[in-house]
Amino acid sequence: MLRAIFYKEWLKLRLFWCLALVVHIGLIAYLLLALRSTLLASGIVETWATMIGRDVLMVNALMYLPLITGVCIALCQWLPEMQVKRIRLTLHLPIDYTMSIGAMLFCSLICLCGLFALDAAVLAIVEQIWLPRELVWRTFLTCLPWFIGGLLGYSVTSWCLLEPQWKIRCVDFLIGAPIVALCFLTAQPACYISMWPWLVLAILATMCLPFYSIYRFKLGKQ
Amino acid sequence: MRNIKSPISNLKYIIILLGLIMSAWLLPALYELVSPRTDKTPFVVYSCLDSTFIKMEVQDKQVHYIDFRGQEFTKSEADSLLPLFAFRQLVAEGRLPDSLYGVALTPKLIQQNSFHFKTSPKQLNKPAVGLYTMLESASGRVDLTLPSDVFRLTDDGLEFIDCETNTINKAKSLSFLRELTKHGFTFPVQLIWGNGTTRKDYDNGFLLTDSQNRLFQLKMVKGTPFVRKIYDPLDMSSSRHLDISSFIQLFTLEPANRQLIGLVVSDDYRLFAVRSDGTITQIGANSQQLTANCQLIYDPQSMQITITGDLFHWTITEYTATDSRYYAVDAKTFEQVACAIIPDPERPLSQRIERIILPIRLRFTSWRTQLIAPNINDD
Repeated sequence: MLRAIFYKEWLKLRLFWCLALVVHIGLIAYLLLALRSTLLASGIVETWATMIGRDVLMVNALMYLPLITGVCIALCQWLPEMQVKRIRLTLHLPIDYTMSIGAMLFCSLICLCGLFALDAAVLAIVEQIWLPRELVWRTFLTCLPWFIGGLLGYSVTSWCLLEPQWKIRCVDFLIGAPIVALCFLTAQPACYISMWPWLVLAILATMCLPFYSIYRFKLGKQ
Repeated sequence: MRNIKSPISNLKYIIILLGLIMSAWLLPALYELVSPRTDKTPFVVYSCLDSTFIKMEVQDKQVHYIDFRGQEFTKSEADSLLPLFAFRQLVAEGRLPDSLYGVALTPKLIQQNSFHFKTSPKQLNKPAVGLYTMLESASGRVDLTLPSDVFRLTDDGLEFIDCETNTINKAKSLSFLRELTKHGFTFPVQLIWGNGTTRKDYDNGFLLTDSQNRLFQLKMVKGTPFVRKIYDPLDMSSSRHLDISSFIQLFTLEPANRQLIGLVVSDDYRLFAVRSDGTITQIGANSQQLTANCQLIYDPQSMQITITGDLFHWTITEYTATDSRYYAVDAKTFEQVACAIIPDPERPLSQRIERIILPIRLRFTSWRTQLIAPNINDD
């Protein structure tokens, strides 16, 4: 049954995922080409000095892409389910609803984590040709909260979309949006090192909340 | 179905908890937007003629010059009382004294002996890159240029990385390592500070402490390493022993008069100047007990410091969470000549109201650090 759910979710998300893959690869390629161009135009020594002395990493264009991807994947996944209450069919499957909804959430998380891991890996592999490991690691630490922001964007959007009542949906949004905003408080490099445990807790907490929305849906809240 | 009490229903408590946490963060932020804080800190300089501090304060869009005795001056009078601070204006008006305390004054001499240093906990508390630029300090050219490599510190040495090839220059790394160990330096490095910028007149290299808290200077002279041991806490026999067990902060400086290598702070928060001859002297020592409770201490983690130096005196201003401290020290001996501690004024009504209606104020940014971290009631 779970395999069938995964397959159904893949059919639903594959088009968007492929589109997102193209956008992510395109943006990473742009960032790397921009870095290469700066290294050639300004000189490697000057570029390294700027990156070390002025805290410039040239990856800021990536900042909101993971968030947009996370929100869009949630919209692609849950809007068709909620529009004509098609989610009821899933809830009537001979499987506990926490399992079926959990499988659907898991499927999207894998899609998102795959994209983000690809972004980070391509950036790190190519950057380490031109830059010392300290700057490559710093770039990763700078991008990591943005990737976490993408996961939080997905979980908060899912929570809001699955909520059956509009007024509660608004309250959910008012609580969820600042949680997502926590990942975008600064663009200064590597400034989130004290926040990792809190952000992991935020992901775990918000990933539970779509289950509560579905629970309310099952209770018949309209 | 309606009567089933699922454990999932308990998730509402997570929502409530998240709501409370977000409220503790957003409501104070919104309150601050509505009632912005105005923090007008006056600029203060010690007047060697008036023997007191003169503050320049903006009130009603006008600059007021008031000394710490309460006497107010016109702009012209203040310029006369601060001849080394306002020398450009005095030169323009033909009012610059020929000499002061037996020293013939020239604009060049005044300019060479003026320097400004400012730092705050927020500037210091940020994630370090771990890469440093070793400039050539004796190139024979007026302008400094960037080297073709940077270096990193490891547990047992240092590695120069060639920028063009992104590979380690083993010969250069070894030569610096040998020179350091020859002077008794033991790795790993505890603290290091250097100004990697080329926008300065000359280069003093790096101040660094080794695993035994000894203070060294390291720079590159004509492509070769130059190492100087400045202070050894274990060398009790030295006449320069200053009872420092370890250092908590180093600053390398390049003042125009070339009298200093930098400033260092000991673990008991005393501030020291490292002179260009390699000796270190405590700044603001109150040995003559001119003023009670005026020992200069500087905690880099909780105080913002500004030093405005001139030919005769340094004015050192420290802003703490509760007061502003002003010290004047002799520019040659660094002995304290004046001191004033001014408690912060009472918090404005809007802040007092905020503390009552919002008893828990959560922030993720802080005046102490650039790191994002939760802080409760850190105003």
